[in-house]
Amino acid sequence: MPWATAIVVLPLATALVVLAVPAGRAHLIRWVALAGTGAHLFVAGLATWAYWQAATPDAAVARTATTTKLYLVERHSWFPSLGIAYLVGVDGVSMAMVLLTSLVIFCGVLASWQVQDRAKEFFALLLLLVTGVFGVFVSFDLFLFFVFYEIAVLPMYLLIGIWGTGRKEMAAMKLTLMLMVGSALILVGFLALWWAAGGKTFDLTQLAQFRYDPALQHWVFPVVFIGFGVLGALYPFHTWSPDGHASAPTAVSMLHAGVLMKLGGYGALRIGVYLLPEGARDWGLFFMALTTVNILYGAFGAIRQTDLKYFTAYSSVSHCGFVLFGVASCNLLGAKGAVLQMVSHGVMTALFFALIGMVYGRTHTRTIPELGGLGRVMPWLATCFYIGGMASLGLPGLSGFVAEAHVFLGGFFGNAWTPPVYTRTLTIVATLSVVVTAVYVLRGLGAAFQGPVRDPHYLHLNDATLTERLSTGLLVAALVVAGVLPGLLIDLVEPPLFAVVNRLNALPGGL
Amino acid sequence: MPTLALPELLVLATALLVLVADLFVDDTGRKRLLPIALVGVVGALVALVALVPDSGELLGGRFAMDPLGWWFKLALLVAAAGVLCLAQPAWQGQGTVDATLPNRGEFLAILLFNLAGMLLVPSARDAVTFYLALETATMPLFLLVAWRRDAVGAEAALKYFVVGALASALLLYGLGWLYGLTGTLDLALMAARLPTTPAAYLAMGLVLGGLGFKLTLAPLHTWAPQVYTGAPLPVAAWLGTASKAAAVAALAVVLYRVAGPHAAAWTPAVALLAALTMTVGNLGAVVQTNVLRLLAFSAVSQAGYLLVGLCGATRDGAAAVTYYLVVYVVTNLGAFAAAAVVHHHTGSQELSAFRGLSRRHPLLALAMMLALFGLAGIPPLGGFTGKFLLFSVAAQAELHWLVAVAAVNSTVSLYYYLRIVRQMYIEPADAAAPQTPTAFLPGVALAVATVGGVVLGVVPWFYETVRVAAARWP
Repeated sequence: MPWATAIVVLPLATALVVLAVPAGRAHLIRWVALAGTGAHLFVAGLATWAYWQAATPDAAVARTATTTKLYLVERHSWFPSLGIAYLVGVDGVSMAMVLLTSLVIFCGVLASWQVQDRAKEFFALLLLLVTGVFGVFVSFDLFLFFVFYEIAVLPMYLLIGIWGTGRKEMAAMKLTLMLMVGSALILVGFLALWWAAGGKTFDLTQLAQFRYDPALQHWVFPVVFIGFGVLGALYPFHTWSPDGHASAPTAVSMLHAGVLMKLGGYGALRIGVYLLPEGARDWGLFFMALTTVNILYGAFGAIRQTDLKYFTAYSSVSHCGFVLFGVASCNLLGAKGAVLQMVSHGVMTALFFALIGMVYGRTHTRTIPELGGLGRVMPWLATCFYIGGMASLGLPGLSGFVAEAHVFLGGFFGNAWTPPVYTRTLTIVATLSVVVTAVYVLRGLGAAFQGPVRDPHYLHLNDATLTERLSTGLLVAALVVAGVLPGLLIDLVEPPLFAVVNRLNALPGGL
Repeated sequence: MPTLALPELLVLATALLVLVADLFVDDTGRKRLLPIALVGVVGALVALVALVPDSGELLGGRFAMDPLGWWFKLALLVAAAGVLCLAQPAWQGQGTVDATLPNRGEFLAILLFNLAGMLLVPSARDAVTFYLALETATMPLFLLVAWRRDAVGAEAALKYFVVGALASALLLYGLGWLYGLTGTLDLALMAARLPTTPAAYLAMGLVLGGLGFKLTLAPLHTWAPQVYTGAPLPVAAWLGTASKAAAVAALAVVLYRVAGPHAAAWTPAVALLAALTMTVGNLGAVVQTNVLRLLAFSAVSQAGYLLVGLCGATRDGAAAVTYYLVVYVVTNLGAFAAAAVVHHHTGSQELSAFRGLSRRHPLLALAMMLALFGLAGIPPLGGFTGKFLLFSVAAQAELHWLVAVAAVNSTVSLYYYLRIVRQMYIEPADAAAPQTPTAFLPGVALAVATVGGVVLGVVPWFYETVRVAAARWP
């Protein structure tokens, strides 16, 4: 069974079916989209099982490997003269990201149940976007990776521009252009890597066998890391993110903050650090410092926000900083923490944006001071908000704690070539953000959901409907499961990370 | 092998037929001349694909066919067919008055003569044929640009003529120097004897200057925006596609066939020119509100991308340039065809004419969007694959800075292409806007261009075939 292809093709096929439905039948369109994404969740689950079956025997080998082993591989030559192939497969990290995406899009479709205006185009574009995301996670050919990467970014322009709110045209253009500059940098890096390795292949597994000249790594690594960092909201290239998220419609914010931003961290880890260990060694400390700024800047930015979406967007900048911080710390705990944080933040932020959409749909305002006391009116939504908030500030028992603990421990232990005083200082400074997070989460949620009901109209509002309960309930369940049983996720993502870290540890030099 | 020149002969025969038939028909009959011309061009296209081998010589080696020349001719004939298709409503006087093409039979004949000259360019093997082919590929354009016979058209044509005459003089002067330096008109011998003296640099500079005008290389591009808006829209499309293709063919002849052995000497200059051209073109396009001016600047920047592939004079580079040229012609035709349809409907060339197009004409808007994304280089369209290949040539030449400049430029270009997309998809539809159906032939051109843009990007056969051809070239 070609699992990896199925993972990519299923949403695309769903998009085509959606396009074939007459435009007037919005209800049918929604159901088609839901059925397609539901089926995808099922397929992704089966693929995980298939991956698990194949990968378990290799668990011991993986600990000492220096190259990632791919499973469920399909390889077809595409442009043979340049060595471009349709090469798809999965390893633990990409499997986890596929599962995350599959969950988020399913909940995203549920959260978009109210979309009436041009519903056909909306769902088709949403599914096209998610096709690109799945494609990035399963492709192991740099050309194919790049193709999917751009497909994942571009539909955002229309999704925000048409269905967004506020200054949507500006936000859509800013987001698209900034992300495209990022992908331009990535392209420069890819072509340099391709040519330096002989110009015969874009196959990531083969490029990983090639030992790049340190001088080349020294300039390609920052180019690639910043290129991916733009999408991963790396300070100071994050400015598209608050505007974009605030203007986007609910499902798009969910997907974008939940999944698309993870492409940045994923690429930085998978292509940046994995292919260019010496570059990572040279630049690790620099990017740790930059991401520390990221973490604090996002957290302090969130304190000042009164719009729930901006609030969550700045919080995302802070949390995505953890991802890149983990990647830049160049050790196993940090890498694991980065991946865990990708999953945790993906679920958490999707939950937030879904809830904000639901609250906004009822109150028609997202301004925190205008809300207030909503907890009495809509207890389900408020409870979900609180659980998400607790995960966000790193409460043990929820996914955020596990991820952040890994990231901070990774940063604290540092690596062999950086003086510990630097990594430890940065880690301690970054850890302070947890306090700031607690401040803004508790203040924000308290203001919105507790106290007296601000507006008498709110008393007539309903709590979550069945579809809303289903989508938020699923996401909350994921947060809890990942928090209580983190071993499941760690076992899944760990094997490929050994390869990344073993390459780093094999570097000559050090202190 | 007489079939070798069959496409050229068919085009010439059609041109003469149209010219003579024009004497004997009235205005209604004249409307039927365009389909006849189209049949001739499509016939030439079929002949090229079915009958013409991709190598051989005629007339004692003065007219030669080579594997890449075959692809250049394919691009030219496709461009001709596309332009004739999109000119149909204008030719038949449909749509708004502004968009009408004054209905005189010579138009088609001049266009076809022009095409014949362009087809000769990649087949030229000596300097005189080369120069004559280029002149035939340029002179008729002066007439076509002035076709509306109004003040704007006349000004555009005059500007084009003055700059064009200067460029022609530069080219001729440069070829003269080359002849003086090498003592031969034969391009292959010229290459063998070309010295690396300052005089040779001067000669090459003059030739590049002459061709740079045709290809709108900065700083010789300044005529383009005004000429595109002053000329009738089909002529602008013709300038933006076929004329570019002929210029690229000529540049390939000069850089590969004549100066190929000295690639290391001219590559830095060409790389700089490429970076300059794409940057100037893109920055110019950013502020435009007229679609044709925007497409003119966009075409300038595309010329810059094409130059990237010539860096280093490698076979991979030749393949990438040829492939991108085909993609560019097809994609740009799509954009021009959509602009032409909108122009016929609304009579306006402003960006605002595209307002709400996705509601009124979903398919037309989709075709335009895909064409623009193709020009911007968004996967999985041919424009992306082509640019990727061009950039990979620069990476092979270790010109990583050029890759960066080109890739960032693509982002800039996305900005102004998205401005049109925004008008079509995001802005609400104008209730008063007419709901005119798209005419048949422009519809066909749009459909072919859209499907072609996707197929070229995804199906590897085209590039791999071009690459095999490039391996046997020059």
